[in-house]
Amino acid sequence: MAEREAEAAVADCLRKLAVVFADFEQRLEATPLIRKLTRGRFEIGDYHAFLINLRQQVKDGALWMSRAASNIGEDHLELRSTLMRHAVTEHRDFRLLEADFVASGGLLSDIQSAPKNVGSEALSAWMFHEASKPDPFGLLGAMFIIEGLGSIKARPWGLKVQERLALPDEAVRFLLYHGDNDAEHMKEFEEMLGMVLPDPFVAERIVVTARVTARLYALQIEEIAA
Amino acid sequence: MSMLRDVFITGTGAVLPGERVGNDRMEDVIGRIGGRASAVGRRALRWNGIEGRHYALNADGEPLHSNASMCAEAVRAALDEAGLSLGDLQHLGAAATQGDYLVPGHASAVHAELGAGPLEAFSYQSVCASALMAAKGAWLSVRAGEAEVAAACAGEFSSRWFRPAFYEGTALVDEKGRARIEADFLRFTLSDGAGAVVMEPRPKPDGLSLKVEWIDMTSLAGRFDPCMWAGSTPEARADMTSAWSHAGPVAAHAAGAVALLQDFDLLKIVIRAWIGVWLEKVDAGRIVPDQVDHLLCHYSARSLRQEIVGLLESTAAMIPEEKWFTTLADSGNVGSASIWVMLDAFMASGRGRRGDKVLCIVPESGRAMIGFMMLEIV
Repeated sequence: MAEREAEAAVADCLRKLAVVFADFEQRLEATPLIRKLTRGRFEIGDYHAFLINLRQQVKDGALWMSRAASNIGEDHLELRSTLMRHAVTEHRDFRLLEADFVASGGLLSDIQSAPKNVGSEALSAWMFHEASKPDPFGLLGAMFIIEGLGSIKARPWGLKVQERLALPDEAVRFLLYHGDNDAEHMKEFEEMLGMVLPDPFVAERIVVTARVTARLYALQIEEIAA
Repeated sequence: MSMLRDVFITGTGAVLPGERVGNDRMEDVIGRIGGRASAVGRRALRWNGIEGRHYALNADGEPLHSNASMCAEAVRAALDEAGLSLGDLQHLGAAATQGDYLVPGHASAVHAELGAGPLEAFSYQSVCASALMAAKGAWLSVRAGEAEVAAACAGEFSSRWFRPAFYEGTALVDEKGRARIEADFLRFTLSDGAGAVVMEPRPKPDGLSLKVEWIDMTSLAGRFDPCMWAGSTPEARADMTSAWSHAGPVAAHAAGAVALLQDFDLLKIVIRAWIGVWLEKVDAGRIVPDQVDHLLCHYSARSLRQEIVGLLESTAAMIPEEKWFTTLADSGNVGSASIWVMLDAFMASGRGRRGDKVLCIVPESGRAMIGFMMLEIV
């Protein structure tokens, strides 16, 4: 009985998250940068701007995840372990992104010294703020959005960038290497939800956090205008 | 103020022209671009699962029908099944992706074919979802007391658009004579036919009727470029000033702006957008998957990729495949007419029982739209 209730709570939360993600994806499609990509008007300068503006969020990802893990209480050690593993897996990803930037003709110092755009500032502040709260389970919603982007959108974008700009694989690795193990990611995510649900307040917080994160992430992409 | 009335589908009709054409013979009818067999046809057919279809052309390319005549025949069949005659019809809504003429509207052509006296006529032009636009118009008209008998019909004569002359000598065919995938894929997806329903404010005296509980349409065109279109080249399609009529028919044809085209990268994204609308309806309680007894959709469950089925299952939003009723494999994807062809076959199949809920879903890739219609068998 309790197990069925937990399953239903996970399915319910996941459904709301999927609705948020659908809206997020549609917003992204309508941003100037992605419109350039899908309308065949994407130039190397756009790709460089894309990488520069993604870098901050990618770099922050492992950091807020570690901070969130450190704020998870001892009742949820399994979730804490999972988040720490995630953080370890991802905390060097921004180096890959920098290497892509250089392999596509950019200067390392340019990507390393670029300021954050308005959306990135807002997103970063929001993530660290949430991660600093005790038991910051709402961030599972943020993970759903950001990891969903990685597993669903990154690779098709990478292929389009590559096709449009005739770039070698080593200049598009960050985008291309995502999207593997989609089903596995999803399963792991469901397990994480199962560690904190059923709990109506937590479920609501997860969905609200997803919604805010999606809106700020889209703002970050909207702000890119090369 | 008078009350809104309940509305019932009291008759359905479907027309599938000519004989059934299997996969091995389809190119004999629609033709081969540059005289060579299509490179993408098999892949398209594997994906959509279609094994047979009908064309309103014979093997010599002569028309057996017009779009309007197929629609008129479907309306007559639906009226006949409802036990009504042409003189009872007050409201005619006619839908199509492309009617026979550019101007005037499809409803005028269907009305003329019917030969009926004066009535209210409405044309709905989009892609597949135009069927439910017409249905919603008919439903609201009866519901509001504006009509006692309303018909909604939809028809497609796609094969006419798939003949080689639409592609040969245009930018859609490369120097080796291969058609662009955006153009060729659809030739193996769509076919011809028409369907219709008749609505009244009461069930018919004998046999089964379908109470129309609601019809919801969602357009997401504000977020997407055209995904299936005719009237511009793939490159210029987001710019409405590039419309074919600006260049004129000869130049537009040469540029590849006249044929029906589909963007498959975008289609994958549009499918997720449809699923998003579906999940939203489930989440809001508008649709309760467990309470749906029969699902009619002109998309096959098999063509949804595994991760989408996985998502539907893990969000408790999947309707199990055994509840899907489809004619897709047998008589093809007839665009806007599909949903009526399926509903007609469903009612004839004897699968439905009084009290069963029948959900019709009509996704349209055109510029990202999806329609839903909930029916109850009474």
